[in-house]
Amino acid sequence: MPDKSGNAYALTILSPIKDGHLDEVAYADIVRRRLDNWNLLENSPMARVPQTYLCRYFVLNDVFTQSLAGTDVYGTWFDFLSIFSDRARRRALPREDHLKSKYLVFSCNFHGDLDAYLRGMWLAIGNEIRHAWEFCYAFDQVRSDDDFVTYMKKCQLTASLFFVGSTDDPLEEQLKSLYLKQEFGKFVIEHQGLAAVELQQAWREFVARVEPANVKGPSWSPGQYRLRQETI
Amino acid sequence: MSNIAGKAYAMSVITPIRWYMTWINKLFFWVAQKRKSTLKGLITLSLIHYARWVIIGRKQFPHLHPDQPKEDLHYSYMLFFSNFNGSWDQYVDSFTFSIPSGLDLFWKWNVRYPRSVPLTPFHEYIRYNQIETTHYYSAYPLASANDIKAAKKVRQALLDFDDRCSDVSPEEFMKQYKGLLRNLQNDLGDMRPTPIVSMSAQQVEKRRRRDVRKEKERLAVLQEERKHA
Repeated sequence: MPDKSGNAYALTILSPIKDGHLDEVAYADIVRRRLDNWNLLENSPMARVPQTYLCRYFVLNDVFTQSLAGTDVYGTWFDFLSIFSDRARRRALPREDHLKSKYLVFSCNFHGDLDAYLRGMWLAIGNEIRHAWEFCYAFDQVRSDDDFVTYMKKCQLTASLFFVGSTDDPLEEQLKSLYLKQEFGKFVIEHQGLAAVELQQAWREFVARVEPANVKGPSWSPGQYRLRQETI
Repeated sequence: MSNIAGKAYAMSVITPIRWYMTWINKLFFWVAQKRKSTLKGLITLSLIHYARWVIIGRKQFPHLHPDQPKEDLHYSYMLFFSNFNGSWDQYVDSFTFSIPSGLDLFWKWNVRYPRSVPLTPFHEYIRYNQIETTHYYSAYPLASANDIKAAKKVRQALLDFDDRCSDVSPEEFMKQYKGLLRNLQNDLGDMRPTPIVSMSAQQVEKRRRRDVRKEKERLAVLQEERKHA
């Protein structure tokens, strides 16, 4: 299954957006603005979706047509022929494509099974999903987590190749490991030059504080971008 | 709008491919997926978290409703999504220098692909076909892919060390501890929110600091008023 590599999953969603306007603003632009507003929040709503490693959203307005010179094997031939015929010159250029719909693109890497992930996503941020997908074709039929799973599978594209350069461990384990790496680095620096007895005692206190085996215990939170969480 | 989430950069590229040649690309990808040794070059680029290639047939764009117009395209399209660490130039250049032939093999049938060498036309090609991300999220913006792999090693080493050495004599503990540090010396780099988490996160952080300052000022005024009351 090319969408999966070990326990990591590559989800690619293209949801067609309706062609319409609200208060003179195109639906696609409203979708883009709503997603953009997520950037102004304290943290992304996706931080609440279990097992999300990395994900992105954007609106695909159209496909690109690049008419700069390339290494097309017939390109030079057509260029040469264009001295005699403008038709030949035009044939050397790529044909121009345009999409008839704009698409909301959601690309995500997560740990585990697709159905469970999508259900967790709906349960965690159902309101945000409804808000972002509101103007997509057929989304008005989505009323429950089951509907959401069915809908997303209709919008899903299969990856041809998925490469995992990191790990495919559960997110809690990854975050716990990062927390430990950071804390142990500090421990090493702060306890240089201690006598064996003191060092052993300090180690016991360190282990009691950081609880290396407990992934639910002290750890980093998903999406955390500060080293210390300050409170007002 | 941001292609950056802490240490991660989101690259999204969409390129046209002649529909009658997609099967060759799919075959290459299938072989690469089945025989991981073919991705050795990609593995050496340890700056990648996750990357994927998706080929959309010209008639395979999702069609969900009778009111939705059907796409009528000349080409199929290849989507490339990558999550990597470092700058755009570092990434594109490291691809070119490490796996130029692999890169050419994957993009060879894409319309107007200029080849990965020389660099400037390749840069132009990627830039032209790249799409900006509107919202990008990373569960660990402070960490690079190498941090995550190193952290896994550190955690396992600490668990093993604690099992083995928590009750040994102090002298033996010290000996084993030094061994642990030798073993982990390349995996203990500090992680920090530098150089920037993202432009928007910086704005959020600025706003948060301002709110904290205002709240402190408000509390100080309240305390002052209570003192005088």
